[in-house]
Amino acid sequence: MIVTTKQMQPAVEVNSVSKTFILPHETRNTLKENVINVFKKRTYENFRALDDVNISIGKGEFVGIVGKNGSGKSTLLKIIAGIYKPCAGEVKIHGDIAPFLELGIGFQDDLTARENIFINGTLLGLTRAEIKNRFESIVTFSGIGNFLDLKIKNFSSGMRARLAFAIAREADAQIYLCDELLAVGDEQFQEKCMEVFRRWKAEGKTILLVSHNPQIISDFCTRAVLLDHGKIVAEGLPDAVLDQYHQKIKFTPG
Amino acid sequence: MPKAKYHNLRIIKELTVAEFKLRYQNSYLGYFWTLLKPLMLFGVIYLVFSVFMRYPVENYPVYLLLGIIIWNFFSEATLIGMNTFLTKRHLITKIYFSRAALVFSSTISSMITLLLNMIIFFVFLAISGVWPGPEALFFVLYLVEIYLIVTGITFVLAVFTVRFHDLQHIWEMLLQIIFWLTPIIYPVTIVPVVYHRLIFLNPLARIIEYSRDIFIRHHIPELSLNVVLAIMAIVIFAAGYAIFRTQKDSIAEKL
Repeated sequence: MIVTTKQMQPAVEVNSVSKTFILPHETRNTLKENVINVFKKRTYENFRALDDVNISIGKGEFVGIVGKNGSGKSTLLKIIAGIYKPCAGEVKIHGDIAPFLELGIGFQDDLTARENIFINGTLLGLTRAEIKNRFESIVTFSGIGNFLDLKIKNFSSGMRARLAFAIAREADAQIYLCDELLAVGDEQFQEKCMEVFRRWKAEGKTILLVSHNPQIISDFCTRAVLLDHGKIVAEGLPDAVLDQYHQKIKFTPG
Repeated sequence: MPKAKYHNLRIIKELTVAEFKLRYQNSYLGYFWTLLKPLMLFGVIYLVFSVFMRYPVENYPVYLLLGIIIWNFFSEATLIGMNTFLTKRHLITKIYFSRAALVFSSTISSMITLLLNMIIFFVFLAISGVWPGPEALFFVLYLVEIYLIVTGITFVLAVFTVRFHDLQHIWEMLLQIIFWLTPIIYPVTIVPVVYHRLIFLNPLARIIEYSRDIFIRHHIPELSLNVVLAIMAIVIFAAGYAIFRTQKDSIAEKL
């Protein structure tokens, strides 16, 4: 007799998810273009971004998603995050999601850092009171203490990334979706990121990470998944999957 | 997906505050400029119709200003609101939250401007010696109704602007037409009676006319008229929201 408790329920279930984008060969964005060309037939291309993807991610797992550009990694994350709806299949989520598909979601250039902390924090699911409580911690981690009342359009890209990450770190979710977070930033920033990953792991959070950096995948992930042309072609221990990924890159032209 | 049930409400609040700040902070006098537009329109029309043409309308200045302020809300809220998915595309493509929240925060921002304009209007009323009576409280109902109408229309416009970026130009033209077909500048009495039914098919015309009834003639319109207006407002909002729901899932992809 198998007893499934809430503990054993997977955090993220992706069941037979497919996503096809219908891409027109020419864009007709305005009513004028549509009317003028009403008799000219539009040609389309069906781009199969995801093809019958099945994956189940348990609580506390740190799953790395690798694949060539265009293999469907970002699309998969966006569907899990609820930004796109799948054409077929379904996604079941058990727990709160904090999507880090880009750092600094909701940042308005014309507003100050202080104001943006509240906007970004609210979008990530925190209440005003929680943001106020964590404000000090955010400021210290990002090191922008002197620039709180400066408009963030005047921030360097490094400062933006540090601020965004500092806020992200305070998000109170159970599931984190990260898309190439470590691509930006200097070594110090990368080190801070890895510190946060370690903390999240210790706290039993579920993490999905898309990355081209094999070191990170190897060091942190409990499992890895290789996507190619929208299908999962490999799944398992990080080192094994990474090996397959390298094979693919070497022997596939282009 | 979002955690607490107040998540969407909190987002609406934060976005509205941010939206309001953004709209007014880039110019020195901020709100003042937004106020200037209806005031200038009022000034010029008053000059032409009252001083040049000597229009025989009771309390024309108050009559005109009220109409212009309400019209301004309708036009500004829909024009700005319809672009909200385009201007906030960087938000929508990166994180999931209620798309409706964006529309609400835009129209609420415009509503705040309307309320500020109403304060100016009250000052004007006081100067003109046309004190509002207790029936003025009824105006709150009209505020709610015009908010529903504006938001319902904005839902539809916003969702279709994603597909047709030039919808804004078409709406601007339509607004011009609606402006002239609504008794804002002219009293409804100059319109041949046979056309009155058509004029009052327009809920905006009703709201403006009933508001004038309340503030200037100190008279609450009869119940049947109010019921019809309320039904119009609710239907427009419900229909707008329903249309929005059929399109909202594909917004992120089209951006």
